[in-house]
Amino acid sequence: MSKKKSTGKNYDFLVLGAGGTGLAAAMYAARLGLRTLVLGHSHGTELPIGGIITTTHIVENYPGFTKISGPELAREIEKHALSYDLVSVKGGKALQIKKKKGIFIVKTEKTDYKTKTILFATGTRWRKLPDSVKNSSKFENMGLSYCALCDAPLYKGKTVAIIGGSDSAAKDALLLTEYAKKVYMIYRGSEIHPEPINLQRIEKNKKIEVINNTNLTKINGDEFVKGISLDRKYKSSNELNLDGVFVAIGHEPLSQISAQLGVKLNGKKEIKINHMTSETNIHGVYAAGDVTDKPFKQLITGVADGCTAAYYAYEYITKEKVMVT
Amino acid sequence: MVNVKIYSTETCIWCAKAREFLTSHKVKFTELDVGSDRKAAMEMIHKSGQMGVPVIDINGKIIVGYNEGALKKALKIR
Repeated sequence: MSKKKSTGKNYDFLVLGAGGTGLAAAMYAARLGLRTLVLGHSHGTELPIGGIITTTHIVENYPGFTKISGPELAREIEKHALSYDLVSVKGGKALQIKKKKGIFIVKTEKTDYKTKTILFATGTRWRKLPDSVKNSSKFENMGLSYCALCDAPLYKGKTVAIIGGSDSAAKDALLLTEYAKKVYMIYRGSEIHPEPINLQRIEKNKKIEVINNTNLTKINGDEFVKGISLDRKYKSSNELNLDGVFVAIGHEPLSQISAQLGVKLNGKKEIKINHMTSETNIHGVYAAGDVTDKPFKQLITGVADGCTAAYYAYEYITKEKVMVT
Repeated sequence: MVNVKIYSTETCIWCAKAREFLTSHKVKFTELDVGSDRKAAMEMIHKSGQMGVPVIDINGKIIVGYNEGALKKALKIR
């Protein structure tokens, strides 16, 4: 392993995805003496460095920070990773990955990088409303938003809905109540399922009204959103008048590029990993964070798996005596 | 003289990114918080025909969202 500063094109550990998971893995890899490159924007989300946590208003479940904003936490993790000379973070997008004579070659628009090991920390992107919801494309950014953190302040004193029943949807609903006068939380299942602490907050918040067992069928409006249609009656009507609709209906794993190496995916297109080592079915190739088949997806778990991957990448390089030429 | 305006909200990550980009390229700009300034919000919707932030107005050229390529082109940054 080289002890040189992390510049040039040859690396020990190359991380695809500059979210919290990827940056934490890079920090740990550097501690193990691995020359590490993190390629952000390689995952197709166009999210800035820091990944999906940057779209979370308040994070309260990351040790060391009782309460911190998502963007601020991401900046802290990035700063920590970059405090090691062996870590380099670049904005290139990986276009092609192949394995040649035991070495991985990652091709970006401008450069070909060589690396002994790879970590996919490519994360996920927000799932969009299906085409079966009429007018969902037409009203995107016209009152239909996928980023409550970005657009909530535009709905001061308005009535809005959040579609979804997860913890993310609950946190968006709570954020929206800081601006809107009324927030409907519409969920297809029988009961919303945020973390208990957020469920209690939802139940106590007088601005929030939860509508379970209900699907969105259509977004109504002229130039901008004016309301929605539901597949069952709520208070004797299938229509709800609204000024805005926010969507938090889950994520899609950004695992496509891993297929170029023959990495195995599950039915949800998540990367299958050994839950002890974070290794995929390909030797020297690891995955961590939201893109994997681990069921509990939090920054705290992604960070742990990223560090585990860095450790087993170190073991692999040491035992196999992999050389980049 | 380049006249640059950013229409933003206080919590928007992309707005912060746009601000960071302009500052790092020493481009002077005016920022309007459409969350608290209703008139600015209406102006943004009128100019861009949509409600997502950020919206960046560079001498009348409207860029919706954070798009580094479009910003570089509009500001003639190489």
